[in-house]
Amino acid sequence: MVSQTVKCPSCKTIMIITGEPGEKTSITCPSCEQKGVFTIPGEKSTAPTLSQQTAIEVSGLRKTYNHVPAVDNVSFSVNKGEIFGFLGPNGAGKTTTIKSILDLIHADAGSITINGIDVRTRGKEAKKYVGYMPEKVAFYDNLTAIQNMNFYAEIKHASKQECVSLINELGLGDTGKKRVGKFSKGMLQRLGMARALLGSPPILILDEPSGGLDPRGVVLIRDKILEMKKKGTTIFVSSHILSEIQEICDRVGIINKGVLVAQDSVESLSKKLNLKPQMSITLDKLSPAVEDAVRNLPGVEHVVSKGNTLEIICDGAMKAKVILAITNAGANIQNLQTKEPSLEEVFMRYTEA
Amino acid sequence: MQTSIIYSIAKKEIMDNVRNKWIILVAAMFAILTLVVSYFGSLGTSGWQNLGNTISGMTELGSFLISIVAFMLGYATIIGEIERGSMSAMLSLSANRFEIVVGKWLGLGAVLCFTILVGYGFAGLLIALNVSNVDILEYLAFIGLTMLFGLVFLTVAICFSTIFAKRSTALGGAIFLWFLFNIILPIVFVGLLMTTIDFSEITMTSTITAPDWYFVLNLFNPISVYSTLITLAIGPVQTSTGSGFIPNPSWYSTGLLLTILVVWIIVFFILSVWRFQRKDI
Repeated sequence: MVSQTVKCPSCKTIMIITGEPGEKTSITCPSCEQKGVFTIPGEKSTAPTLSQQTAIEVSGLRKTYNHVPAVDNVSFSVNKGEIFGFLGPNGAGKTTTIKSILDLIHADAGSITINGIDVRTRGKEAKKYVGYMPEKVAFYDNLTAIQNMNFYAEIKHASKQECVSLINELGLGDTGKKRVGKFSKGMLQRLGMARALLGSPPILILDEPSGGLDPRGVVLIRDKILEMKKKGTTIFVSSHILSEIQEICDRVGIINKGVLVAQDSVESLSKKLNLKPQMSITLDKLSPAVEDAVRNLPGVEHVVSKGNTLEIICDGAMKAKVILAITNAGANIQNLQTKEPSLEEVFMRYTEA
Repeated sequence: MQTSIIYSIAKKEIMDNVRNKWIILVAAMFAILTLVVSYFGSLGTSGWQNLGNTISGMTELGSFLISIVAFMLGYATIIGEIERGSMSAMLSLSANRFEIVVGKWLGLGAVLCFTILVGYGFAGLLIALNVSNVDILEYLAFIGLTMLFGLVFLTVAICFSTIFAKRSTALGGAIFLWFLFNIILPIVFVGLLMTTIDFSEITMTSTITAPDWYFVLNLFNPISVYSTLITLAIGPVQTSTGSGFIPNPSWYSTGLLLTILVVWIIVFFILSVWRFQRKDI
């Protein structure tokens, strides 16, 4: 929404109108009642929207370098509006997959569509839906941040005002006129995020977006990702910082040695692996009778005592029964902590040699 | 193909190179060298030379320098951006590869032509103020042909930057090609020519008539094509250098030589696009 002041042509009364840029509004002057049509200045927002439920579809992707497969028969899909985390150890094929989605790398086999459009044959059209932040963010060092962004905006058919507002949003407002060659790694990363957001694409592809950032930068990027999700943006993010992905992702795909080994929500992946939550219960006094009562419960796998604390690994459904057994045995619970299986455990299991 | 994207890429190349400032130094160098050649260029005489003498003096020096400048502008333009990582961003913003090659060719070509125009133009102006009989059109034709020659080397350089997998090997290739055209080929061709000449019949005043194959071979070296083109096309050069050591055959024509330079540009341009389309970024 943009506000604009207009002057009535006959009685010179000043009015304020609001609307989207490019929108035509009919107005009536409040004092002399003259009617008129006013077009709000600026280019009409041409941000594309997704027409398909599947934002990105990769099927049977294969790419070999010198007869060694970098990715082999990788298939997955990213649904409209979700955050999809793409995980894997270094050299697993994450960047190869991402670059194939953007047709930067020509795959040997398989098909990739963005919003149902084949990237290989209709790349230009498909890429309109995508904003991309590469793992290695690079700009033209001799040009300023604003000059760089203006160049990319011209290619993406975005406006110059958008460049300025994105630079401000990413906290680079006071460095817009500085040569990018003098930027720190963190500033480059933010500018890279601003570039990916140009033209409000409905899909964001982020390759290790918080690599090399200080904690403040990591939070800024994560907040930006969540903010974009709220606006309905589909986000495909690769990362090795698992704790971060776990917090924000709806689903994850795990790739290892070029093969996609898992694709699901973190919760169902840990269920599939039969990973169990861990409980840590501190009691007023720990007697062997209490410990035995817990140990004899069905579904309890592992019990260790440390001082007045019991460390228990059990089925998720048994947690309440464990607590009941302890109180029935006459002990009082002073502190209780449970740790759900983490993405890290899921990841380690799937990428084990 | 979107012309607005091509225009943006060309504009970016110009801005990037102008901000880099080295191209301004190159233009100044051209101007100074032209003036030096014009003032001191001819043995036995001193003071300002006429435009014909200046041009013939500049042709050889110019072909050395302009081939270097064109190579420097172009050899890393694609592979350099791929290595640095800025190419993937440009491609992801829906610029296609053909648009990128065209945009870069136009932008870098404009920088090269502008440098030649400013350097040679400024020097030409100073010469014109000091020498009476100056044919402006002939000098402009010289500048135009030099630009065309520069574009040949620029296109070859851009092609190298799509063929090689690394910036450093592209640089190596460019340096090799520079030596090949400027030094190795002329020596080899003249060497081959020498083996066919009966030196016992040569006197100080006789001119050597070279066989046709020698002239055909020379057509494969754009530097020879350029310098021959200058002697054929620019009137004052013809009269000032006389018939030269080895007279050109009658079938050499301005049209033929111009066509050869244009064909070089077209062939290497197409090769650049073809290679870049198939490259993994």
